[in-house]
Amino acid sequence: MDELEILKKDWQKEDNTFPKLTYNEIYKMILKKSSSIVKWIFIISILEFVLWAVISFALKDADYNQRFKEYNAENIMIPFIILGYVIIAYFLYRFFMNYRTISVTDNAKVLMENILKTRRTVKYYVAVNLGVMIVSAILVLGIQFNRDEQIISVIEKASANGELFKFYAVTIIITLLVLAALIGVMLLFYYLIYGILLKRLNKNYRELKKLEV
Amino acid sequence: MNKELEHNFVELLEKHQNIVHKVCRLYTYDYDAHNDLFQEITIQLWKAYPKFRGDSKFSTWMYRVGLNTAITLYRKSKRRVNTQDFSDVQFKISAEEYDDTEEQQLKLLYNAVRQLNDIEKALVFLYLEDKNYREISETMGISEVNARVKMNRVKTKLRTILNP
Repeated sequence: MDELEILKKDWQKEDNTFPKLTYNEIYKMILKKSSSIVKWIFIISILEFVLWAVISFALKDADYNQRFKEYNAENIMIPFIILGYVIIAYFLYRFFMNYRTISVTDNAKVLMENILKTRRTVKYYVAVNLGVMIVSAILVLGIQFNRDEQIISVIEKASANGELFKFYAVTIIITLLVLAALIGVMLLFYYLIYGILLKRLNKNYRELKKLEV
Repeated sequence: MNKELEHNFVELLEKHQNIVHKVCRLYTYDYDAHNDLFQEITIQLWKAYPKFRGDSKFSTWMYRVGLNTAITLYRKSKRRVNTQDFSDVQFKISAEEYDDTEEQQLKLLYNAVRQLNDIEKALVFLYLEDKNYREISETMGISEVNARVKMNRVKTKLRTILNP
C-alpha cells in the first residue's frame, strides 16, 4: 500500500488530537496584530521613502546649499529637484498599487509574485535615488570647480605650485570613496534586512518556478 | 454589522479550526510556534473574510489562506525552540504506548513528511485532505500536470527518506 494512503487514513480520522480552541480564544486572536512579512516589507518600504525624502529636504536647507545660490546654478539644480519629486511621486504610486494587489486569497505563486513585485518597486526607487545622487555629486563637483570662489582660489594656488593634478585627484578620490561607502552601507542594509526577511519566500518561489520547467 | 461579521467568522472558524491546526502541525515543530502560526493564520483569515464569498466553501477558502500564510507570509518568531519531536508529544500520544507496527510506521511517516520542503508539504497537505489535482493546481498556482508530476516525486522522496 502507498505510504501516503496510510498517512491519509490516519490524517482524516485523528481530528480529536488537536487542542480545541473556544469561541472566546479565537475572538481574542482576531483582535491581535499581524506580524506577517508583508507588514514588515510595508513598514521598511515606507521608512525608505521617508529616509530619502528627509535626505533631500535636509540637503536643500543646509548651509552648503545656501552657498550654492551664489553659483547661479539654479538652472541646473531646479530641474534636478523637480526630478526628485517626480521620482518620489511615481514610485509611491507604483508601490501602493502593487501593495494593494497583494491578497492572501490568491494562489501561492501569484501571492509570492505580487510580494516580490512590491519589493522590487522599492528596490528600483532606491537604485534610482542612488543614481541621482551620483550624478548630482559629479554635477556639484563640476559646478564648484568652475564657480566657487574659495575653490577657484585654491585651484589657482595649486596650479601655481604645480599641484593641480594632485588637487583634482584628491578631491575626486575622496568624493568617490564617500559614494562607495554610502553604496556599501546601502548594500549591506539590503543584504541583511531583505536577505533575512525574504529568504524563505525566495526559496519557495524558486521551488514553484522550478516545477514549470 | 461589524459585530455580526465578527460573530459569524469566529463561529465558522471555531467549527473548522482543525484545518488550521493541521497546517500548523505540518509547518511547526513545537507548541509555541504552533500557536504563533495559528494566530497569524487567524488574523489573515479575518482580514480576508469581508471579501469571502459564499460561492466557495469556507473550508476550501481556509486551505488557501492557511497555506499561503504558512508558506509565504509567516515570519518565524525568535522565541521559537527547534525541537523536532515536540509536537509528537503535544498532539499525538507518545510512541511508547503503541507496540504495533502500524503506529510505528505512522510515526516514521510523519517525521518523513516533516523533512520535506515547504512546497512539498503543501502538496502533501492538500493530498491528505483529499483534494484532487485540479484543486491542488489552483491553490498552488501550478498546472495540473505539474502538480501530478511533483506529487509523484514527493512520494518517491518520502520512500527514499523512509528506506535510505
